[in-house]
Amino acid sequence: MSDPEDRAQARLEPIFAPRSVAVVGTTRIPGTVPFDIFQNILKDNFQGTIYPVSPKERSIAGVKAYKYVLDIPDPVDLAVIVFPSSVVNLAMEQCGKKGIKGAIIISAGFREVGPAGVRREEEIKRIAASYGISFIGPNCLGVINTDPSVHLNASFARRMPKEGNIGFMSQSGALCTAVLDYAHAKNIGFSKFISFGNKADVSDIDLMMYLKDDPATKVILVYLEELTDGTRFVRAARRIIRETGKPVLVLKSGRTREGASAAASHTGSLAASDEVVDAALHQAGVIRCQTVEELFNNAIALAYQPLPKGRRVAIVTNAGGPGVLTTDAAIQEKLELARFSESTRETFRKSLPVTANIMNPVDVIGDARADRYRVALGSALDDDNVDGALVILTPQSMTDIDLIAEEVCNVANRSPKPTYTSFMGETDVASGIDILQRRNIPHYILPESMCRAFARANDFLRERDRPEIPPVHFQDVHPAVAQKILSAAAAAGRAYLTQSDAMAVLGAYGLPVLPGRLASSPEDAAVAATQIGFPVAMKVESDDIVHKFDIKGVLLDIVSPEQAKEAYRTIVANAHAAQPRANIRGVFVQQMAGRGEEVILGLKRDEAFGPVLMFGLGGIFVEIFRDVSFRLAPVPANMVRDMMHEVRSYGMLTGARGRTPRDTGALEVCLQRLSQLAVECPQISELDINPLIVRNEGEGCSVADARIHV
Amino acid sequence: MERSEIQHRVQKVVSSVLKIDSKEIAPQSNFVFDLGADSMKSVELIAGFEEEFNIEMDEDRAREVQTVAGAVDFIATYVQ
Repeated sequence: MSDPEDRAQARLEPIFAPRSVAVVGTTRIPGTVPFDIFQNILKDNFQGTIYPVSPKERSIAGVKAYKYVLDIPDPVDLAVIVFPSSVVNLAMEQCGKKGIKGAIIISAGFREVGPAGVRREEEIKRIAASYGISFIGPNCLGVINTDPSVHLNASFARRMPKEGNIGFMSQSGALCTAVLDYAHAKNIGFSKFISFGNKADVSDIDLMMYLKDDPATKVILVYLEELTDGTRFVRAARRIIRETGKPVLVLKSGRTREGASAAASHTGSLAASDEVVDAALHQAGVIRCQTVEELFNNAIALAYQPLPKGRRVAIVTNAGGPGVLTTDAAIQEKLELARFSESTRETFRKSLPVTANIMNPVDVIGDARADRYRVALGSALDDDNVDGALVILTPQSMTDIDLIAEEVCNVANRSPKPTYTSFMGETDVASGIDILQRRNIPHYILPESMCRAFARANDFLRERDRPEIPPVHFQDVHPAVAQKILSAAAAAGRAYLTQSDAMAVLGAYGLPVLPGRLASSPEDAAVAATQIGFPVAMKVESDDIVHKFDIKGVLLDIVSPEQAKEAYRTIVANAHAAQPRANIRGVFVQQMAGRGEEVILGLKRDEAFGPVLMFGLGGIFVEIFRDVSFRLAPVPANMVRDMMHEVRSYGMLTGARGRTPRDTGALEVCLQRLSQLAVECPQISELDINPLIVRNEGEGCSVADARIHV
Repeated sequence: MERSEIQHRVQKVVSSVLKIDSKEIAPQSNFVFDLGADSMKSVELIAGFEEEFNIEMDEDRAREVQTVAGAVDFIATYVQ
């Protein structure tokens, strides 16, 4: 059975490449949405036939109008519905009877206004489904297709963008208008420009899959306010990148919205919804951008220039200071200054003044004209040690800015390597920048943005080309044991597993748990400790107490039965004092884990993305340092190590500052086993292993404490 | 007041406000979809009905009325 996403092209063809369009509900009043949309289609040279539909008017802008869409004598591919929301259902019904298969519903007044709007939206979905109509919206700006054979501006944007190879899709119609204006100033063109509004039928994922197979689209840009089906989104993005190599860039708002549940676990409190979104997009290979500017800074690099195969840059500049600034920015972005070959340096020596700097940055000096830029840039790009060029220009009195711009374009467009530019200034360099933009050479106001874009482009190439190794699937596990415990907990109405049960579930998946059991009295604690073997750790057992250390509910290195009895009394007294209402089941007695580094492993089941794994340097301050990384489970085998390396303090595990290296191999296996557990035990909503003690190399790890929320 | 009289007078107001022939106004006609009333005209219709029937209608509820027959029913609750 084919994936519905694979049918996106066929479903959406009537919307993006219609031969005829009916604007349903249009009026004669300029400055209104119903009129302006009709006018846009007409004035922006739509290549098909357009039919205005108006209950009252006999013509609109000189074009014969029809009272109902059913009165149109010819077939219609696309309906653009601009009626008020209260009658969109009637319009949709007629479109269905007419045999129209594609619609764009511009009208607002649906889900976004509350329950009445939700009901209206459900009704039009039902009508559309009954007739097999695919529709974009409602509550959207519209759709633009710049393909010359279609040239459709079915929107109420002020202008039609120029043709380009960037596909842009946005959940916000207002942002679309701002983006169009911004893009116009920067000479940025689009293949398709889509405002998808409430996505009641055609979703963001459907549109991405359409753009995946659109030959006119080279780069896909997405603005989102919400990610309802995160798992599908990530899968679609991954498919696009893997199957076509097209970069997907996402700007998602709502970073500051709190999504974490603070009470259930460390993982729950650390895995706020935006950190999870970040991890998910990163894992899919999506380039997440923080601002509209960054979105387009990256887009023009990816759309206009070849991807840099490495990070060795040649900087060509006519001024020393900006050259140094660019160098700093390049290093900051982990780029390298290319070392020119002797033959390249020789070319520079022969062609540039003696005062020119022939190392990197190549400083062609303040009085440089187009010829020096041609030689410097051309030779640098020809050098095998160079992966791409960054060209800086400052406007001196003798600088022939436009000629230099043309020459840079000529040289750059002959090379299989990327060239990015920064003509610094605003007024004097404006015409030169215009030339660069028109000829599709990425230009950046600041060298820092230029370097950042170069780095992101190379990151994308490496991510795109990285093989994906399936997650490890362990055979030596006992899922039935885990399922039995989880089912029993559910049947008993428990929110948390006991320590014993938590350890048993983890043990069922091969995680290295320590012997231990619950003691219900001081005397029982002494017996348990003797059976397990000293030294032991003792911890309060209560669903109501998350931070056991904070309330002095943990005692370590108990070495005798008498100490065990005393420890029991102390722990229970401390717990009662700190949380008088806590239900205390007893004290868990456990073998000591031995010395090692404390890390935290966690799992949280996210509403949008499913199971999310967390790793970090642990202990009681984990929520203060927040030095953690996330991945969606199941984690591909070659991504587990990345997850570990991402943590800033990871070096503490590998032998920094003379410390003994810890058993990171065993740690990696623990993460892989936890990934499998996360997928196979959907009943678990949150899980903390904190700490997992990672001992010296070859000595393995131990689960010192765990908390499982179901 | 008889329903037929209400209907006749409603159609008269609609014809006047929307400037369309009475013959095009059927009981099942939707003010927006069939008769082309926009938001301004909707307000004028409400004012026109109030003046014609010398009543003061609940505006929020009046705005929910979608068809000529619906308007007749709604006005009937005021005049009968």
